[in-house]
Amino acid sequence: MFKERPIVIIAYVVCTVMAALAVIPFFWVLMTALKPDPEINAWPPHVLPIAPTLEHFYRILGEENFLRYILNSLIIALCSMTAILFTSSLAGFIFAKYKFPGRGILFAVILATAIIPLEVYIIPLYLMVFGVRMMNSYVALVFPFVIMTFGVFFMRQVIMAIPDELLEAARIDGANEFWIYVRVVLALSKSGLMALGVFAFSEAWANFIWPLVVVTSKDMYTTELGLATYQRQFFIEYGPISAGAVISILPMLIVFALLRSHIMKGIATSGLRG
Amino acid sequence: MTAADDIAPRGNLAARFAEFRDTAKRDHLLWVVLALGPIFALFCIIRVYPILETIRLSFYRYHPTQRNRPFVGLENYYRLLEDDSFRTALTNTLQFCVMAVVITLTLAFLVAVLLRSIEKAAPIYELLLYIPVVTPWVPASVIWKWIFDPIHGILNYGLDAVGLPKLAWLQDEHVIIYAIVLVSVWKMLGYFVVVYGVGLRNIPDELLEAAELDGATAWQRLIYIVIPMMKPIILFTVIIATIIFFNVFAPVYVLTASAQGAPAYDFKVVIGEIYQNAFVFYRMGYAGAQSVALLVFVLMLVMIQFALFREKRGR
Repeated sequence: MFKERPIVIIAYVVCTVMAALAVIPFFWVLMTALKPDPEINAWPPHVLPIAPTLEHFYRILGEENFLRYILNSLIIALCSMTAILFTSSLAGFIFAKYKFPGRGILFAVILATAIIPLEVYIIPLYLMVFGVRMMNSYVALVFPFVIMTFGVFFMRQVIMAIPDELLEAARIDGANEFWIYVRVVLALSKSGLMALGVFAFSEAWANFIWPLVVVTSKDMYTTELGLATYQRQFFIEYGPISAGAVISILPMLIVFALLRSHIMKGIATSGLRG
Repeated sequence: MTAADDIAPRGNLAARFAEFRDTAKRDHLLWVVLALGPIFALFCIIRVYPILETIRLSFYRYHPTQRNRPFVGLENYYRLLEDDSFRTALTNTLQFCVMAVVITLTLAFLVAVLLRSIEKAAPIYELLLYIPVVTPWVPASVIWKWIFDPIHGILNYGLDAVGLPKLAWLQDEHVIIYAIVLVSVWKMLGYFVVVYGVGLRNIPDELLEAAELDGATAWQRLIYIVIPMMKPIILFTVIIATIIFFNVFAPVYVLTASAQGAPAYDFKVVIGEIYQNAFVFYRMGYAGAQSVALLVFVLMLVMIQFALFREKRGR
């Protein structure tokens, strides 16, 4: 865009500084997690641990049962992702490829809720869960995350790009509509599903306020909730807290590293947030 | 057709039914209903109903375990106007939100524009800047809490090293807002860099080259071509960023004071107030009124966005 030499140099300097600032805190927390206690509080602080240790990881995984929290988060995020992929693609398919009375209104109702954040209507959601005595369960934890307005909109865009002739051809071959959904539509929108899947997974994984509200016992803690609670209780114990932070970031980083091209493409086509 | 209508109305009904059945079959109406019905019902249960119910709750005094839930009209709203801690939370959140939006978007725009000058290296930078975005708010804030530590924190070490006074980042009531802004900007910057990057790549090169041939400086090209062309995207990001930052909660929960007495200033925000009133004190009607205030704020933003977009299209 701007090829003037000074601008290119400034660009390298500024972008490198920003990228470094983005990454350094991760490096720092990893180093802290690996330092034995006396080194953590050493002044002046030194960058690399002199006697690196995994004791904080043992502590947080063993005593604090973080493994359980991670498992809970995984279960919730995977269930939510599967449900959102299913509901979004099916609803997106119907809105993209069928004519029926009231289509515009139904789609408008769904879209109208898109921008309203969960925090606005969290109280009635809680009361519903409370009313059916489902507090502190996986069902309660997953339930607000089985649909995604944005997902419906996104999958509709993706599926609209599939040519109608393909669907017609399948119909002529005697396929029913469900078969077409599974074998034609899903098969042809894999990369869209991938982008949405990553997004849905990370949304469910990262949510904090909902588990904070519906979880009442430690065995149902998610990673986020476990970490937030632990760091409030043991605010001096920076070793285990850092180890917990490292552990709870790791799954997201792995997903991101594996699927980064899909994520970046998702943002490029629709402003999808990771 | 009309002649047939007069002669045999009953046959006509049957014919119309048959016709309807044919269209229904051609358009696969049964399949549409079976497939979309349950999903739409879910949307109503999980989104539409709770939003409306929040509004209804705001007119009641409501405790989840008490039978007596009297209708109190606008009482909760009157109370909202007199509630000092809600007012503090609102001012804090607005201040925080404005700072975070302006800093994040300005920096993101700057970085995105600069990245277009080093197109080949851009994907790597975008990837690195995106790592904080995929990091959930809780661990992101936890990482920074240690950096902000007044005694052992690396940030104060840095300030000290260059001869500046150390700051009580999370303990000083005037400083904590900057600490939370810092974490938030750090966390969200990458997302907006990538979004701006997409928009910037869509500006045709010929336009910029033509301007360059006419002797426009880089600054002029930025002001007269790039920014005007980016206007819709900038508008979109302002709305999105405002909503994201206005809903700030997890970093506040992690970085501020706690019941166990972690030494930090109790920085109040809107979502924190809703959380406290609804789920700590179980004043759900009152918290409902606060949620409605939040809802009105979000809807106002959306309406502003629509109005500006329409104006743009009209021109």
